[in-house]
Amino acid sequence: MDELLSDVVPQEDLERFEKKYHHELELDGEIATETKFEYAFCLVRSRYTNDIRKGILLLEELARTHPEGRRDYIYYLAFGNARIKEYTSGLKYCTAFLDIESNDQVRSLQAHSPANLDRPRYPAAPLYGSLALPLSCAVPSSLHEVSAALWSAERSLD
Amino acid sequence: MADRAIKLLVIGESGVGKSSLIRRFVENKFDENHDVTIGMDFKSKVMNVDGIDYKVALWDTAGAERFRSLTPSFYRKALGAILVYDITNRDSLVKLEAWLAELDSYSDNPNIAIIVVGNKIDQERVVDREEGRKFARKHRALFIETSAKCDQFVSDVFKDVVEKIVSSEYFNNGSGAGGLDIASNRDLEESASTCYC
Repeated sequence: MDELLSDVVPQEDLERFEKKYHHELELDGEIATETKFEYAFCLVRSRYTNDIRKGILLLEELARTHPEGRRDYIYYLAFGNARIKEYTSGLKYCTAFLDIESNDQVRSLQAHSPANLDRPRYPAAPLYGSLALPLSCAVPSSLHEVSAALWSAERSLD
Repeated sequence: MADRAIKLLVIGESGVGKSSLIRRFVENKFDENHDVTIGMDFKSKVMNVDGIDYKVALWDTAGAERFRSLTPSFYRKALGAILVYDITNRDSLVKLEAWLAELDSYSDNPNIAIIVVGNKIDQERVVDREEGRKFARKHRALFIETSAKCDQFVSDVFKDVVEKIVSSEYFNNGSGAGGLDIASNRDLEESASTCYC
C-alpha cells in the first residue's frame, strides 16, 4: 500500500487532463462527468496537498451527482484522504464502501491507516481538517448513511 | 537493487482473474468473491532466478472501460506484460487483441516480454487450449493455462515471464527500456523463438 500511495501521477498526465477540464469549462460552460473524473483521478495522485484537496472536492461532487460511478469515487476519496493523512475522513469512506461491497484494495487502505484516531497525530490536524474539508468533517456520521442509501437505491434499480 | 526491479503489468477484460492470479502468487490466497478492481492496484514479491533476487512489481489494472484512457502511464517502464483471458469466455480472448493494441501504443519498451494466460482451467472450458496457444504464437508471446482457484501453474506464469526478461540481452542494457535502437531490436525479436508450449 505504501508504494501505491507514494506513486505520483506523471506531470504530463495531470496537465493533459487539466487542460481538457478547462477547455470544456471554457467552451461549454460545463464539464462532462468523465472529464471531471479523469482530472480528479490525476489530482488525488499529485505530489501536492492542494491538488489532492482539489481532487477530493471534485470526487465529492461526483459522488453526489453520478451514482453509477460511486464506488470509484468513494475509493479515490479514501485514497486521496489517506495520501494527505486525513485518516478519519479516509476511514469513513473505507467503511462506507465495505458496508456495501467487498474489496481487497479498500481493506488494504483501511489496514494502512493508523487505528487510533481519537488522538490526532499533530495538534493542528483537527482544525486544519475541518477548515479544508467542511463537507466530510462537518457531517461525518451522515456520510456513510448517505452513500449507503444512494448505493442501495442504485442497486434496487438493477 | 534498483536494476534488479522488474515492473510487470497485468491486463485483460474485467472478471478474467487478473487480481486473483496476483493474489494467489503473492499471498497464496483465493477469494471466491469477485472484488472488482478500481483503477489500479500494486503488489510486489521478491523472486529468485538463478541465485539472484529480483523485486517484481506487479501492477494490476482495472478491466473496466472507464479506466482505459487513464492508465497509459502505467504501461511505461514495464518490462513484461501478463495478458489474461478466461477459458470459459471466448470474448475475453478476442478482446486481448484490443489490449495488445493498447500495450503497443502505450508501452515505451519495444522488447517487452508478453505472456498470454488462459485462466480458470478448474471450470468447464469453452476456449480450446490450442486457440489460446495460437493467439500467443501469432503475437510472439509465451503461453500458459492456469487456475488461480486451485493454484495450478500460477507461479509458472511469473517465473516464465521473469526468466524471459532476465535472460534477454536487453535486460542488462540500462533500464531495459529507453535508449535502444528500436528497428534492429525488432528484427532480433522476430527471429527469436518465444513460444512456451
